[in-house]
Amino acid sequence: MKPSPFEYVRATSVADAVKALAAHGDRAKLLAGGQSLIPMMNFRMVAPEVLIDIGNIPGLDEITIGDGSVQIGAGARHNVVMASDVVRQHCPLLADAYSHVAHFTIRNRGTIGGNICHHDPASEVPLVLTLLGASLVLAGPKGNRTVPADTFFLGMMETAIAEDEMLVRIDVPFQPAGEGWSFHEMSVRKGDYAIVCAAVRLTVKDGAFHDVRVGFNGAGTETKRMAGVEQALEGKPATDATIAAAVKVAVDLSDPSDDVQADAAYKRDLLSALGRRALEQARARASN
Amino acid sequence: MNVKAKAKKSIPASRQREVPGQDLKWIGQNMKRVEDPRLLVGEGEYADDIALANMLHAAVLASPHAHARIISIDVSKALALPGVHAVMTGEEVAKVTGPLPCFGSPPVEQRCVALGKVRHVGEPVAIVAADSRYIAEDAVGLIEVEYEQLPVVADLREAVHAKGAAVLHPERGDNNIALQRSFKFGTVDEDFANAKTIVKRTLRWPRSGAQPLETCGAVADFNRGSGKFTVHCNTSMYNYVGWLWAVSLNVPAHKLNIVPTMAGGSFGSKLFLHKVPIIAATLARKTGRPVKYLEDRLENLSSCDHHGSDRYYECELALDADNNMTALKCDVIDDYGAYFQFGIGHHGNALSQITGPYKIRSVEANITAVLTNKCQQGAYRGFGSEVSNFVLERMVDAACDELNLDRLAFRRQNFIKKAEFPYFIPTGNLYDSGDYEAVMDKAVGMLDLEGWRKKQAEALKEGRYIGIGLATCQERSVFSSTEFWSLNNVPGFTLTSSAEGVSVKLDALGNAVVKLQAPFWGNSPETMAVQILAEQLQLAPSAISVAYADTDSGLSGTGPGGSRYTVMIAGALVGASKIIRNKLFLLAGHLLQAGKDKLELRDGKVMVKGTEQGMSIADIAMQAHFFRLSFPDEPEFDTGLDANYTYDHPLTTLPSDDRTDLGIFYPIMGHMCHMPVIEVDIETGKITFLDYVAVHDCGTIVNPMTLAGHVRGGTAQGVGTALYEQYDYDEQGQFRSGSYADYLMPKVMEVPPNVRVGHVETPSPFTEYGIKGGGEGGRMGTPPALAGAIEDALRPLGVRIDALPVTPSKLRGLIRQAQAK
Amino acid sequence: MKTSVSLKINGKSYQDDVEPRTLLSDFIRHHAGLKGTHVGCEHGVCGACTVMIDGKTARSCLAFAVQCQDHDITTVESLGTQEELSPLQQGFWEKHGLQCGYCTSGMLMLATELLEHNPTPTRDEIREAISGNLCRCTGYQTIIDSIARAVEIKAGTALEAAE
Repeated sequence: MKPSPFEYVRATSVADAVKALAAHGDRAKLLAGGQSLIPMMNFRMVAPEVLIDIGNIPGLDEITIGDGSVQIGAGARHNVVMASDVVRQHCPLLADAYSHVAHFTIRNRGTIGGNICHHDPASEVPLVLTLLGASLVLAGPKGNRTVPADTFFLGMMETAIAEDEMLVRIDVPFQPAGEGWSFHEMSVRKGDYAIVCAAVRLTVKDGAFHDVRVGFNGAGTETKRMAGVEQALEGKPATDATIAAAVKVAVDLSDPSDDVQADAAYKRDLLSALGRRALEQARARASN
Repeated sequence: MNVKAKAKKSIPASRQREVPGQDLKWIGQNMKRVEDPRLLVGEGEYADDIALANMLHAAVLASPHAHARIISIDVSKALALPGVHAVMTGEEVAKVTGPLPCFGSPPVEQRCVALGKVRHVGEPVAIVAADSRYIAEDAVGLIEVEYEQLPVVADLREAVHAKGAAVLHPERGDNNIALQRSFKFGTVDEDFANAKTIVKRTLRWPRSGAQPLETCGAVADFNRGSGKFTVHCNTSMYNYVGWLWAVSLNVPAHKLNIVPTMAGGSFGSKLFLHKVPIIAATLARKTGRPVKYLEDRLENLSSCDHHGSDRYYECELALDADNNMTALKCDVIDDYGAYFQFGIGHHGNALSQITGPYKIRSVEANITAVLTNKCQQGAYRGFGSEVSNFVLERMVDAACDELNLDRLAFRRQNFIKKAEFPYFIPTGNLYDSGDYEAVMDKAVGMLDLEGWRKKQAEALKEGRYIGIGLATCQERSVFSSTEFWSLNNVPGFTLTSSAEGVSVKLDALGNAVVKLQAPFWGNSPETMAVQILAEQLQLAPSAISVAYADTDSGLSGTGPGGSRYTVMIAGALVGASKIIRNKLFLLAGHLLQAGKDKLELRDGKVMVKGTEQGMSIADIAMQAHFFRLSFPDEPEFDTGLDANYTYDHPLTTLPSDDRTDLGIFYPIMGHMCHMPVIEVDIETGKITFLDYVAVHDCGTIVNPMTLAGHVRGGTAQGVGTALYEQYDYDEQGQFRSGSYADYLMPKVMEVPPNVRVGHVETPSPFTEYGIKGGGEGGRMGTPPALAGAIEDALRPLGVRIDALPVTPSKLRGLIRQAQAK
Repeated sequence: MKTSVSLKINGKSYQDDVEPRTLLSDFIRHHAGLKGTHVGCEHGVCGACTVMIDGKTARSCLAFAVQCQDHDITTVESLGTQEELSPLQQGFWEKHGLQCGYCTSGMLMLATELLEHNPTPTRDEIREAISGNLCRCTGYQTIIDSIARAVEIKAGTALEAAE
């Protein structure tokens, strides 16, 4: 189980990496932490002819505070993001979701940028970034552009990133004070790919849900966020009955498929159970 | 049956030399393992650690199809790749290398590289030797094969009816039935006719496998000068049937030396490797250079030749008016995959303890072994009897549920009682000894069953579902080789030896070297040998070292398997020690001017009994090796201090010709009681362990710490089989478990945090010191215990567990169905 | 196309000309000749090949040797010797934390990292720390016992040093 041959290029700066991308075109792939890419290469499911190593670019892994947002360098390792005080304080949903991401050793090496660009449909981080309204800063031959997470994540393992572009930073807006949030996941074993994830952000004002954002992985829907579920909650009394109705909408909107580990009916049951648990927990966390 | 059988059958006299219950110094201690220091610093010598000068590396082109005819293979591009030294197709291999060994009868032909057609995904189609494994894999990618697809047989029940092009091995007849046979032991028809209650269940045991963390590997060298192969391999059984490789390689057995490496786990799955070493040897002969072939994980998952049992059962259990179990009937279809290396031995194994610890007096077993387009079955911890444990315990729980009986009391009522041993079961096997009530009582006490019942009731009020499981299972040990063939329609090679040899040498300084005939494969053979020999010769453990014999120097040795190894090397070491002791006493007697019968061993010395007069073993050894003229000119005083001893099976008899009696073939009978406590999240199907008690009776214990290691490790594997693991094939025979992200084994979060292990010691009257086997450990009992625990938890919902693995998705499905009722 | 790769492993430099695709695990085992790092699955799930890169555990089958130039690699060979086992190795020996020994190096690396961050972990913290690696022999419980024992041994050693 060994990878195919490739040419190795070590980029020393973002500009260097972008230049290398332009030079090698679709023969090249960026190598960050390699925790998703290298297994695929070992199985020879992918065989890039050129690997551009962006793991040694100074500053690409910095986490800083911007204007109302946490700015996370694409090269930041998962464990660093997860343990970051800034992230825990301002984006607790992201920190919370991270407890479900793989295992410690994989998180030591895997990067947030690599995870996002790989865009495994079961992956937790793309889901919560979508809910958090994150922006993704891409560097290309013509300079930088910023893409909202909503439009960045396309289908399975597809993103809006162009062949000659590289993700350099993720800007995650602060979660407002008083907001309730929750992340629930079921996987067969701890650290495995999620069967279903449920993520929630909301506020509770005068006994009603507001600013609701709800999303799922594993639902088989086009988008991670489910507008229908959000509508079923927005402005409605923050009661169990509202939650039950919203969860039912989620199940109705979902279109999961059978796979080896889980059948569609099970995924619908999980959407219902995890959706309810997440909404209840978010409601409990929200200050009234 | 039992009384009559006893009248008809006689039990061979015990050959036990060392009786149980002695005051022992080393046996019974929690001695730290002597294997560990070198393993802890990374100096274990595993297959991939073997590197020979000029060594090449092999890779295999694996079939992407489940069943297809090979129309053509073009290897020209692969051969042209720089760094490639050989590419061989099945046709080229067949010119020099014959079929692989097969114990099935009549045999099913298997080649190390497919010839003419492929029969499962992952089967080798061509092999490559190159400068590196990387280049070898590049070459594999350049081989072009044209296939013609054939109908696929992927379902075991459909396999029974397959005909024509769907037949895997047409030369054996126009069907995919490897073997079909019906057995009746005792008055089964009468017992069913007279039954008050008949409990029926359909049960499904899933295809799982050992998956040791080290895959199978071999480094083969062919010396053109001598025409001799040397093969380093992590196989076992090389000193038993290793010569069969020579048959495959078309050389006389003395032209093959098999050198064992340490194995990074086996659990049965390296029992007798054939494909991997034969591929390496075939390429070594072709290239004239040493060749390493180490399976990668995908190859091991899809083509290791050692998938576990995969069975569909229809069972009936008969009970009389007093709720005594009287008869058991099992119709079983077993999916053997594409080949039949170990034949039907797995069912012989099951029949050794088919009635469990219970006084069931008759048995009907209708066995259909089918061939399908999957990797073949081999061995995995239990070798088929773990399945019959599951089946029987499920039937027992089912009987309790249908008759509203207490699961403990019903078992107790039906147990064979302590005073009734040795006890013949209907199949003709003998249970040597046991005390099943003591084991169960100990487990119940350790668990605090009453306390958990209270917690269970409280939890249910809060909508939480706690369940307590119970399994009381047999752990047969020390197989006799008759089980390999006694069920065959055509008996085939009816071997009756399953011996274990040992060489012991005391060097001139009085230190002992023990040579074993079988490899380290994760068990503790060196520690066992040291503890037993230290006991026998009253040596300090630090004065004993252990080595592994290759086949050039080896004695007969069947190796670990069927929980036999500790019992068998104990027998061999007792025999060898007796020879050494006699010589020591002979020499010391002469030097000390004392009669042999006046001498004894004491702390590394030969002492005159009742005195402080004596000589150290080291001094005697020096005399024995270098001072011949100190002794009389009689042959028994000749130079040297060593012994070879081969110990045969302690208690085995032949089956009857009509096979209404299978003979004694697995008599050293251990027992266990497992009691897990779990909680089920009924919304997600997730199972959490709250407690786990496992009490085992493995007779006299050599090392409680390592035995508990087997119990806990086996329990974790049992958790895997029960809740997670399955080699999954779709209806087209495509393999869907080709990675560790798909074949899910428990990691630490999925096993009980604390398996509390208890021991009961009921010594065997037939083995040295009364030791019984225990290596297959918890996997023999955990699956039924967990199935029972899940049912117990979900009793308010009425969920029934008939099939494993109970994955979260499947369990939630069962709960959903129950809730819909 | 081969390229010269020089890696610092356990403080010592190892140089060889290798293809860029050479996995770190293969470089450690077959080029540096350090056989204590074992390869189990080569797709990053089993953890047998766990080493440290710059003091953090990493799966050496999920890194290329060439990536690790200028980074420090640590393997099981950095711990004790047979004559003088490290406290962790001693703990594994005393508590039967290994059977076949194949996963052990990886487990030792995880435990080393854990104890660096958290010298007195709870059993649950130990469980969490080893939760990514497979062991097929022990059922894990004695691995937890072993790491807990190593903490005691270290404390005892510290005590001795203070006395």
